Amino acid sequence: MAKPLDLDRRWIFLAIGLLVVGLYVAGIAAEMPVNTYVQSYYDTIEALPEGSIVMLSADFDPASAAELLPMYQATIHHLLKRNLRVVNVATWPAAPPYTRSEFDDIAPVYEKQYGTDWVELGFKPGDDVAMGQIGQSVTSAYNKDDRNGGPLTDLPLLEEVGDSFQGISLLVTMSAGYPGILEWIAQAGGRYQIPILAGTTAVQTPDLFAYYPSQLSGFLGAATGATMYLQLVGADVPELAEATATNQSRMLIQTGAHFLIIALIVVGNIFYFLGRKEG
Amino acid sequence: MKREIPILLTILCGLAITWSFFSPQPVSQAVNDELLAWGTVFFSVAFLLGIGNLVRISLKQISARHPDWPYKALLLVVLFGYMIIGVAEIHGWFGIPDGQNLRRDWIYERVFQPLQATMFSLLAFYIASAAFRAFRARSLEATLLLTAGALVMIGQVPIPPFFPFAEAIGDYSVRLQGFLMAYVNAAGQKAIIMGAALGTLATGLRIVLGIERSYLSE
Repeated sequence: MAKPLDLDRRWIFLAIGLLVVGLYVAGIAAEMPVNTYVQSYYDTIEALPEGSIVMLSADFDPASAAELLPMYQATIHHLLKRNLRVVNVATWPAAPPYTRSEFDDIAPVYEKQYGTDWVELGFKPGDDVAMGQIGQSVTSAYNKDDRNGGPLTDLPLLEEVGDSFQGISLLVTMSAGYPGILEWIAQAGGRYQIPILAGTTAVQTPDLFAYYPSQLSGFLGAATGATMYLQLVGADVPELAEATATNQSRMLIQTGAHFLIIALIVVGNIFYFLGRKEG
Repeated sequence: MKREIPILLTILCGLAITWSFFSPQPVSQAVNDELLAWGTVFFSVAFLLGIGNLVRISLKQISARHPDWPYKALLLVVLFGYMIIGVAEIHGWFGIPDGQNLRRDWIYERVFQPLQATMFSLLAFYIASAAFRAFRARSLEATLLLTAGALVMIGQVPIPPFFPFAEAIGDYSVRLQGFLMAYVNAAGQKAIIMGAALGTLATGLRIVLGIERSYLSE
């Protein structure tokens, strides 16, 4: 007789597939209570004076877009709504297309102009070294405008950005791994005393608690953090209403998946110990 | 000289970078700036070396008719195809003005994005399977790990309102998860970070002082 632990794993795949699809179709939204880390992220941006310059680093790729893209979009809305100006950089090669398409969609909502309200400097190879170079001097690290291909002197916003992060009030990174938030803290946070905010994946989130609040002013942990932040920013941004509702309904899908995994762990252990008892 | 020159260069570069961290003087910052620029160039050259190595290994497997050879051939076609399209668009070879990466963007959005997202999504299925087959409470440590993991997973998600005692479960699970992450996890992480930092410092010093020479294949 086949043992329960020898169950064909395709049944488990089917179970989780059906659960996810079922909850997706049901589309039930659940509001999340906002935690301290997300509130600090929001408050840090709120506390910046209008016109301040923020460096936004896109350090992710499509694999983690499901977690990071909603918080990236919400951050761009938040920054532009507050009339903050944005210098976009990226240390992951697959990230700049996201920056391009999101700013193309969001900047017109707030009537922002390229060059004066935001700039795109694009991907910089070199991981930690590139971060060090960006910190040392943005205009030395990059030699052209990534959006239009023209010289950096065509971008009036950069006239206010000096060496060693002078002129930049805040660094925000959407980080999916290496290089990302931990490298920015090491290369920029301590050295140039610039406040840092981060949005990260679920895998990386536990690493960040040790840095809060000294080296990290706030962070958004995974889809949960993104949903909480969307609730805060989306409250008075109609363009984010759909994204907020979508994320809230996806949180219940995650609830279902988490509970199924916990149930599988419990059942697997029960069968394991029963099998051991029988010899 | 094959040993002495690399060691000398390592010592000089290591000292210069360390010096720049502690000295705001223009000279140290200029040296640091220059070295970082070199580092970026070396990093870019490493890309080329990586591509060269990938091509060499793939061609070897294709010629030996390795069972995976069709995948290797596809890899080379995609690698060079995307590269050629990119370079052609940069130089306007297809009559496209500079800055309009239409073909590259199309491949990125229609092929690369969905493929990578799909690969990552498969993790959910494998984790579920592993939960049933591999996560065993064989020892006290493993039991504690599994219990803490389960509590954090519950605290990370909303409890559906139709669950019995949903509000109370939600409230307690969030508090418990917060305690585990902000105190137990953070304390452990800090200890690991400090240990790793001291280890990195010691290794860095050994390299800068020329004691550690494994990078010279010694």
